[in-house]
Amino acid sequence: MSGADSHQRDDRSVSQPVIREALRPVLDPELDESIVDLGYIDEIVIEPTPSADRSAVTVRFTLPTAWCSPAFAWMMASDAHEAVSTLSGVETTEIILQDHMHEDEITTGINTGQPFEAVFPDADGGLEAVRASLDHKARLARQFDAVDALLKAGMTPGQIVSLTPSDITDSSGDRTHIYLQDGSFAVSAPTEPLTEYLEMANEEGCLTGDDEPLFRTPKGEPVSIEIFEQLHRRNRSAKVNVNGQGTVCEALNESRRKALGRSDD
Amino acid sequence: MYSHEGEDIFVIDGHIHMWDASEENVKSKGGEQFIECFYDYHTGFTPEDRQWTYDEYRAYDADRLKDDFFTNGVVDMGIFQPTHLKDFYHEGFNTFDRLGEMADTYPDRFIVNGRFDPRDGEEGMQELERQANVRDMKGVKVYTAEWKGESKGWRLDSDESYEFLEKCVELGVKNIHAHKGPTIRPLNRDAFDVADIDDAASTFPELNFVVEHVGLPRLDDFCWIAAQEPNVYGGLAVAAPLAVHRQEKFGEIMGELLFWLGEDRLLFGSDYALWNPDWLVETFLESELTPAQEAEYGVDFGLETKKKILGENAAELYDIDIEEQKRKLQNDDVSVEYGLESMYSNTVGGAVADD
Repeated sequence: MSGADSHQRDDRSVSQPVIREALRPVLDPELDESIVDLGYIDEIVIEPTPSADRSAVTVRFTLPTAWCSPAFAWMMASDAHEAVSTLSGVETTEIILQDHMHEDEITTGINTGQPFEAVFPDADGGLEAVRASLDHKARLARQFDAVDALLKAGMTPGQIVSLTPSDITDSSGDRTHIYLQDGSFAVSAPTEPLTEYLEMANEEGCLTGDDEPLFRTPKGEPVSIEIFEQLHRRNRSAKVNVNGQGTVCEALNESRRKALGRSDD
Repeated sequence: MYSHEGEDIFVIDGHIHMWDASEENVKSKGGEQFIECFYDYHTGFTPEDRQWTYDEYRAYDADRLKDDFFTNGVVDMGIFQPTHLKDFYHEGFNTFDRLGEMADTYPDRFIVNGRFDPRDGEEGMQELERQANVRDMKGVKVYTAEWKGESKGWRLDSDESYEFLEKCVELGVKNIHAHKGPTIRPLNRDAFDVADIDDAASTFPELNFVVEHVGLPRLDDFCWIAAQEPNVYGGLAVAAPLAVHRQEKFGEIMGELLFWLGEDRLLFGSDYALWNPDWLVETFLESELTPAQEAEYGVDFGLETKKKILGENAAELYDIDIEEQKRKLQNDDVSVEYGLESMYSNTVGGAVADD
């Protein structure tokens, strides 16, 4: 990465940290975690271009196994491409997937703007369907965290199932104040699990309005008090699944990077 | 036989292999990537001083397997699950017939399961019958996400699959081990799907469906199905080694499994040679849930539960009477070769792991 550092001084807006921050919101869709935090990024190269104030950016990344789902790999490459190419100081973007069984198809496809379905005509079930099912899983896991935080904050299941998105808008930084019983008293809960849940619920599209129920069953229905506990347990399973799979991938990633001589990342 | 806290623990390793991924046997790039990926799993979850070299790992013989299983006497029996992968390896990776030789040599120590793939049609049906006739076969391993020609996988609840499952019922093959876990070429949307287990299990209540790798990365779907289908079991291969460096994550997964399935429907598996049972059994026995996890799940992961998972549940599925089996093992070739006779006498006082 030292070569890249010498170039970045030429540019006023694009730097290694800026690119890394731009990539941070890109998630491994299965693990629901940032590809930067997961350590998938091998190298960021920033080079000058003829247009003096804009750079050519190349990002190389490697996944924990050579056969991580091509659809997942595609989403990460595609989201990374979008995240970098929309930065103001970036002239050209190249995302390179390394050491994957479909590295050439994915790298070429992403950088030439082809759709997944054109590159993988054999794949049954389009990319959007895959993304939707992963968003759904991520929503359930995040719902567990949000509900868990509210239970720990002292709310009852009855109060929790009655919440709507407009009830969780009063946040001051780390804490969100939720007014109950017509505003007669407020509960304070951590903001992060609530906003993360809301983000993914919107992504999945299971919410029907600001004054409609916030939490939903797997099918997107409002949650009744009768099924509250069982649903919370099922969502806990979704959370444990994501954590467990994340643990497996983390270990594979470490081993693989060691074997490939890239453990210095 | 392992002795732990004064109790004998009869261990049946429910998921083992004897593979050949030697350079001579590798047929395609996929074969090389496959064993590389296995090796990453191995090094990722094996204590450093117990790791194999890559060359050792590519291919090993019956003697190595025997030493790994019986030198410290921790494992009593193993169940081979075949993985043919003929597109990747000239002679196959871990084949029914090669595994059979091992079981023929040590009949009381090893069980060999068969395999089927409904896409093999009539020929596959005959092969299944042949396998069942070669030995008193009680189980098969199936791999629904495997590619074959144009097909990118198959479903356990398809009509073609049901013909094979009917044949299994007829042949007395009652344990269907379905690989639902890490997938080689997961191109299709449902490559990780476990939903097909649901219908198959309710349509064939006389069969047992052991979901290998507990469905990771679909643990939640698996648990939900298993909670409703009493003939669905979880195989702990891949999950168990999380106990090595990721005790807390392992505890969460065990908590889920015990909560939804209970202690009678889980089977230990080392996935040998992905991991060695000689140390993994001990790691598993010493693992615990944290107090917070115990409170959260309200389940017991004590010695009685572990004994069931490590051997008693598999014994039930494979019609093994443990006391009778101990008598058989007391003087078999393995016990004589490794000096294990005394641990199978009636008294407690089995082997202790080497570290």
